[in-house]
Amino acid sequence: MITIVTGGSKCSKSSFAESLFEKTGGRKIYIATMIPYGEDAQTAIERHRKMRKDKDFETIEKYTDIDEICLPEKCSVLLECMGNLCANEMFANNEISFPADKIIKGIEKIAAQSEHFVIVTNNVFCDGIYYEKETMEYIRSMGEINCRIAEIADNVIECVYGIPVVLKGKIL
Amino acid sequence: MIMITGGAYQGKTQFAVSEYGCKITDGKCCEIDSVFTAECVKNYHLLVKRLLENGENPVEFTERLCRENPSLIVIMDEIGGGIIPLEKSERIWRETVGKAGCIIAENSEKVIRMICGIPHILKGQKK
Repeated sequence: MITIVTGGSKCSKSSFAESLFEKTGGRKIYIATMIPYGEDAQTAIERHRKMRKDKDFETIEKYTDIDEICLPEKCSVLLECMGNLCANEMFANNEISFPADKIIKGIEKIAAQSEHFVIVTNNVFCDGIYYEKETMEYIRSMGEINCRIAEIADNVIECVYGIPVVLKGKIL
Repeated sequence: MIMITGGAYQGKTQFAVSEYGCKITDGKCCEIDSVFTAECVKNYHLLVKRLLENGENPVEFTERLCRENPSLIVIMDEIGGGIIPLEKSERIWRETVGKAGCIIAENSEKVIRMICGIPHILKGQKK
């Protein structure tokens, strides 16, 4: 089963996503995609570690190539977050790459290995600003990835200032 | 009238085509007057920008559009969710898109917000 949690900045989508694991038995795997580079990233990572400290997650840091992850049997997985994974894949090399197909493949692989796979993604589409080419391509790729993972997902939830809104399926 | 809104790249146009089988007119580059006879106009927020650049009044234009083409499907991005732009013309554009969007929503029997390719009905019946 796949659940997508989306929303704007600081809408509490992470704590909502983590709350979905409260009743989960079995091993809980947290796939952290943010590269610990720079002060802002360090602060964010520290904040997220604190938030999930007593929630029994095992953390795997994987910044690109999530299709390489091997998971234990009957686990549940939280991926945090698509925005970072997509940026890491796109801008890892000098040439920008188009990561949608590769990421979808990785998502399908993780979903097949887990009981419940929760993906936190980001709503980066509503400011009406036309940025330079690379940024627009990033926004376009995120749009494509979100549409495609939502299509294969069982549940899609948008968090609005801490309130979960069901777009597809249900809240478990 | 039907309004389809949502952020950029959320599957709005694809939804309009698959749901209504309509022919798409692109507000970014079409003949401006063609929207009065179009089935579906996308990028209406960019049409508003072109109207402003031409010195026309997009609010009056939108009111006229609602009167003269009441079966139109309007696709426009939600663009108000960021910081107020520094550039005056950008501020005016953003505000005018907001006003035009409210007029279109008011005149629409159905308003759909697309997110992650999923239609979310804001106004009108869920079929």
